[in-house]
Amino acid sequence: MHIMEGFLPGPWWQIWFALSIPVIVYGIYKLNRLVKENREILPLLAVAGAFIFVLSALKLPSVTGSCSHPTGTGLAAILFGPAITAVLGTIVLLYQALFLAHGGLTTLGANVFSMGIVGPVVAYTIYKVGMKMNLNFYLVVFLAATLGDWATYVVTSLELALAFPADPGGVMGSFKAFATIFAVTQVPLAIIEGAITALIFKYIIQVRSDMLTRLNVLSDAAISKIKGAIS
Amino acid sequence: MRNLLDDYALVSRIRYRNVWLKLTIAAFGLLVGVSSTSPATPLFIALSMGFATLFFGKTPLKFYLTVLLIPMGFAIVGSLVILFFFGSGSEVFYFEVFGYRLTANAGGLEMAILVISRTLSGMSCMFFLALSTPVIELFAVLKRSGIPDSVIELSMLMYRYIFVFLEVSMSIKHAQTVRLGYTNLIRSIYSVAMLASTLFIRSYEQGEKLYLAMNSRCYDGKLTLFETKRPIRATEAVLASIYAVAALSLM
Repeated sequence: MHIMEGFLPGPWWQIWFALSIPVIVYGIYKLNRLVKENREILPLLAVAGAFIFVLSALKLPSVTGSCSHPTGTGLAAILFGPAITAVLGTIVLLYQALFLAHGGLTTLGANVFSMGIVGPVVAYTIYKVGMKMNLNFYLVVFLAATLGDWATYVVTSLELALAFPADPGGVMGSFKAFATIFAVTQVPLAIIEGAITALIFKYIIQVRSDMLTRLNVLSDAAISKIKGAIS
Repeated sequence: MRNLLDDYALVSRIRYRNVWLKLTIAAFGLLVGVSSTSPATPLFIALSMGFATLFFGKTPLKFYLTVLLIPMGFAIVGSLVILFFFGSGSEVFYFEVFGYRLTANAGGLEMAILVISRTLSGMSCMFFLALSTPVIELFAVLKRSGIPDSVIELSMLMYRYIFVFLEVSMSIKHAQTVRLGYTNLIRSIYSVAMLASTLFIRSYEQGEKLYLAMNSRCYDGKLTLFETKRPIRATEAVLASIYAVAALSLM
């Protein structure tokens, strides 16, 4: 869910930039270290970024009939970790603004914060905790992607509410209003995206599970356990 | 799906003008528009930028309006919330939904109009840049601005592969559609998941091949770029400064 260009007044758009930039810088630092270690990773990350962009340009089947797009952040966070996802997400959001007119340049900071940082961090944490707890892999992926999307949507509503507090009720009042209006599309959409992300992992495990081991997402033992559960 | 602003930037009439000038004009409009306190300035910026894109750049009007529709939809929904919940002042109008009274007051109405006009001006500045400057030309600018090479390179490779994968995903989608893959919700979920996973596998393989191809051509972690020199013409400078002065005097 993108905040459009010009929607956030000062000082809010600057504040979100100030909050996002340190995370992006940390992501770049991690990226540089990864690239130095293993140069093969850069082309791979580039195609991964392009993949996220194309994924987000696909129209999702939606219950409410509105035009809706997957964010792909849950998938990226599970595959590459939140720090790198922040960098990839920033570039993807910039391209979305320049190619598809989704989002904007002054609101880039706010959008990066909600979609490139909070969403992936939530998704990644849930994924890690779920895997530790030995839950079903697909359930964990579903939960991670869905809750990551919801976190994004809550943060976006909060960003809007902080900029435009309601008169009676303050920030909480307008947060409720924004959250209710966007819930109509975002709540079912996140569930659909969660299901799709889980299915994507199912197909990848069936066809090319070696890719996941090489990205350090799953160990060989975990994959054979998941495969055993299917058959 | 293939409604990319970049495609139109490639055929824009003002594509071969100075990149820095275009960037400055867009950035100026963005900043002035977002920090203005009356709707007049943003509307003036929106009109001038729209005029520049449509008249100088010869972007088709129909396409311009279609892409403007998406952000405006969002802005209008958001402004509705602002209209009913924000600000104080005399009551302008109200209506009742499910016995819940929604009132719009003067402050809220003013703010809603201001936010819509800001979005309009911001979007038109962004469109001016996006519809006149292909992203390739922005890379040279980015390189100068001190962003780390690894990030720029990542963006350049991404830019290249976005078009490759869009093509792939479109042909898969067509193939799925003619096989009735999108006739109902459950089927579409399966179809989208299949499309995305195939795309992921294809892109992973493509990434490996790309690394091999670049490595065998002596890739050492740096792609060099040429920045073409395009001097700013006098008329452009004059027009831009008239526009800047007019926008600032409206503040």
